[in-house]
Amino acid sequence: MLQVLINGALLGAVYALIALGLTMVFSIMRVVNFAHGQMYMLGGFVVYYLYGQYGLPFYLALPAAGIVLGLIGVAFNRFFFQPVLATSTREENSMLMAVGTALLLENLALTLFGEKQRGVPEVVEGIFIWGDVAEGGVVLTYSNMLVMGVAVLAIVALLGFVQYTRPGRALRAVAQDKEAACLQGVDVKTTTTLGFAIGAALAGIAGGLLVTIYGVNAGVGSNISTKAFIMVMIGGAGVTKGAILGGLLLGFAEAIGYDIFPGSVTYLIIFVAMIIFLLFKPNGMFGKPWG
Amino acid sequence: MNSLKKRDIYVSFSVLAIMLVLPLFIGQSRYLLSVLMNCAGLSVIALGVWLIFSIGRGYIGQAGFALIGGYTTGILLTRYNLSYWVVLPLSALSAAFFGALIGSFILKLRGIYFSMLTISLTEAIRLAFLNGGSFTQGSKGITGLPQPFSGDSPLPMYYLGLALLAFALLLIWRVHYSRVGRIFRAMRLNEDLAESFGTDVWRYRVMAFAIACGLGGLGGSYFTVFIQSVYPQSFTVEHSIYYMLYCFLGGLEYVSGAIVGAFVLTILFELLREFQQYQTLIYGVLMISVILLLPNGLMALGSSKSEGSKKALPPIGGADTTPGKADAKPMIGRSS
Amino acid sequence: MKNRSILRCTLLAIAAPLAILAAPVHAQDVLKIGVNGVMSGEAASWGLVNKYCAETTADVYNAKGGVDIGGKKYKIEIVALDDKNDPKLSVSNAEKLTSEGIKYIIGPNIDTTALAVKPVVERAKAMNFPYAFAKELYSPPANASVLGMVASYQVGPIMYDYLKTKKGVKSIAFLARNESDSKNQQQEGVEAAKKLGLTITADKDTYEPGTKDFMPVLTKIIKTKPDAIVLSGVAPADAPLLNKAARDLGFKGSLSTETAQDSKILAQVAGAKANGFLSVGGASTPEIQSDAMKAYIEAYKKRVGEWNDEAGTKVYALELIIAVLQKNPAAINDVEVFKKEMETFSMVNPFVKDGKTKLEFTGKADFGRRSQVGVPLVVNEFQDKDFKTLFVGTIKN
Repeated sequence: MLQVLINGALLGAVYALIALGLTMVFSIMRVVNFAHGQMYMLGGFVVYYLYGQYGLPFYLALPAAGIVLGLIGVAFNRFFFQPVLATSTREENSMLMAVGTALLLENLALTLFGEKQRGVPEVVEGIFIWGDVAEGGVVLTYSNMLVMGVAVLAIVALLGFVQYTRPGRALRAVAQDKEAACLQGVDVKTTTTLGFAIGAALAGIAGGLLVTIYGVNAGVGSNISTKAFIMVMIGGAGVTKGAILGGLLLGFAEAIGYDIFPGSVTYLIIFVAMIIFLLFKPNGMFGKPWG
Repeated sequence: MNSLKKRDIYVSFSVLAIMLVLPLFIGQSRYLLSVLMNCAGLSVIALGVWLIFSIGRGYIGQAGFALIGGYTTGILLTRYNLSYWVVLPLSALSAAFFGALIGSFILKLRGIYFSMLTISLTEAIRLAFLNGGSFTQGSKGITGLPQPFSGDSPLPMYYLGLALLAFALLLIWRVHYSRVGRIFRAMRLNEDLAESFGTDVWRYRVMAFAIACGLGGLGGSYFTVFIQSVYPQSFTVEHSIYYMLYCFLGGLEYVSGAIVGAFVLTILFELLREFQQYQTLIYGVLMISVILLLPNGLMALGSSKSEGSKKALPPIGGADTTPGKADAKPMIGRSS
Repeated sequence: MKNRSILRCTLLAIAAPLAILAAPVHAQDVLKIGVNGVMSGEAASWGLVNKYCAETTADVYNAKGGVDIGGKKYKIEIVALDDKNDPKLSVSNAEKLTSEGIKYIIGPNIDTTALAVKPVVERAKAMNFPYAFAKELYSPPANASVLGMVASYQVGPIMYDYLKTKKGVKSIAFLARNESDSKNQQQEGVEAAKKLGLTITADKDTYEPGTKDFMPVLTKIIKTKPDAIVLSGVAPADAPLLNKAARDLGFKGSLSTETAQDSKILAQVAGAKANGFLSVGGASTPEIQSDAMKAYIEAYKKRVGEWNDEAGTKVYALELIIAVLQKNPAAINDVEVFKKEMETFSMVNPFVKDGKTKLEFTGKADFGRRSQVGVPLVVNEFQDKDFKTLFVGTIKN
């Protein structure tokens, strides 16, 4: 059982990181970034090429993934989302745009990088073993611990940034009330761009981190996006603690579920449980009403 | 009759008329006919999604109900050996039934929560069929389904598709350009306000959802006998997204928008086959360009009414009622 | 005025693309071969490898001025269509290919798509070479499909026997991808293992396609203490991670599968943790490669950029089709001629070193008729970044 809980903690930390990126974009722009999973995938490829193929040290490749995705986020915001948000009569158009960007990224990746599964050498070798797993013992690879550690670090850094720095406060202000923030002198346009960039960067970092233990291929995006949606729905869209809670819950639910139930029943139960939960708390645990 | 409705009529009629006579010119090519059959089936399903848009919800779960319709067809045909002509309406009804059931719970969600939930709903339905044991045969799917028409010619199936398309179009048309349609529009613009005027919002929501899901099941049943099999992955989240895209691309203000979107995108898909693996890439790029340049859909091209204005929406059903008046009195006045 | 123009536009919009679609492309000395399979998404490598292999074969022949059939030189043209793993698209792909007059189609790769396409191919009097294992595709009354590789249920019993006798395996567990193909393979595997007298410790466990973290599901299986774990129907993308997770969890037994794998991604993603992994190979393992195979690999690399071991099993289909056409050119437009030839056709396998191995149509034992390409049955073991041939056999006819 302890092994199951450790699996859950690992998944939870990583999922929380993914959910945070998605919720960040939503809180700032009221747009669900359908391409979040694809950005995760691109982060993985950045690290695959820089660290895996060209031999750059990991502690440089990972931030590079974040930066690359952040730049993509800026570009998407400037060229795709801002124009749509400015001119369309329906709010759903931005969702459509997000879907379009998701299709674009996924197939761009397939074209540029090919369809094969890719992996990178382990950043740290070694493994903790307590007892025999078959007997209920526990196993934890150093790689997994590293991933968990960096994920937690990234989450803490983000929370600190949002809480204590000026741009961070600006982000919170815009998320809370765009007009009031504008009246307070916040540069809404720059802040929005920053928000999207951070959200995308988080996805990229999560991908770059996870490529070390899971590898990456051009098709992983939609699966990650679906899970991110679940987490954000449970935790509440646009709220950081909601995203973290959602991530942890899903991680543990998945680990425990796979242990008890055969394969796909786990996710069926997760979906049904989520639907029932949403009936009682339609905006998630901490979310605010929308629409 | 205002110009929006006129345009809607012309396009709808044109599509149906052209589909009716096209086999005279291309009847030899099974391939071309199969493309059009695909378009027809997708239009039926997309019309359901369109209806939900008209009550103000972005619905990304239609694939799940297409799957329900498909499995109903599969199970009834193989286990009970019923005639397809009994099975087809039953499939639509079972999808509508489940739609009403599930809808009565989930329709209280709004906006982005509803949309994200419907994505999960598609997946949940797929998983339910995957784990349905011997009843649904799990991942093996149900195969070897008999086609309703004997003989080699694709024409009977083609005309069945056309008939279903006409049925769906007429149904949604009747709903949209009627009193009920005005109520839907009121609900879309401001649900709380509509409720305060005494409209039983819950009832209308569920009704719309049931009709939409019924159409999904109808289309799903058609596809199932078309390819003579149904699997849990016959209709996925990706399909749900595409149905939504068809409506957007066509134009959410026009009933025929769903049909136009389905036809254009499907035919475009086929044309792009020449580029093979770059197909979906170009498709994605086209999608984005269209959204940037034609945010109100293809049907709105050349129309002065819905372009540019951010908040105003063209009136539906009544020629000279302004949006304000239509809101305030959704129950008064008959549709033109 | 405006409405008439709308009518015209609609008419044009529907008619024009259809006109383009319908325009036939006929050229004199061109042999068109179709490829229909999944070329995008998670299983993309299966269909793409089909396409690349066919195109490479075409490259090799076209570089020599074409392939000689019945005294005429034909340029080989490959028409490949992506079905995105969707039976509906598979069907319309098949309709499109056959409407262009194509009689021989390679693929699809999965049971669901292959079964959907079967009636289309039969009706159009064409033939296809799927890489799906469902017996109903190949057993009578079916007659339009030829299995292009070794089926899992043919190699499974041989592999389990090897594990039992050479590695002392007594108990075995099965893990399948939650998909119809893989689950079928799981069932077949369980039956075969039972026949050999092995204890089955897990026979129903699955994982969802798209899973990347296999620790939860493998923890469960390892707890049942099997001597060997069979990864039924595992996709090349999942195998490395499964191996890695199993070894990380401390599993010391055997890991094997009955599908073809890619050594490069095993080395990249799992490294030494994949050592000892048993899988099905084709003709590309260095021990049995002929010079023709080496040349083929170079041509493939030129076209695609890197070799994929999965292609080792897929190199045969087009070669065999061409060889039969060369023997009886009437088969170019009549598949019935081809089917008759299948009964007696035999050639030397050009890809195997010894120059003696025969390449024939086989499959009577499993399907009741010769409806399978008789590729050598090769079992590989992964060691130090590459596959080593463990043993080679042939499918019983």
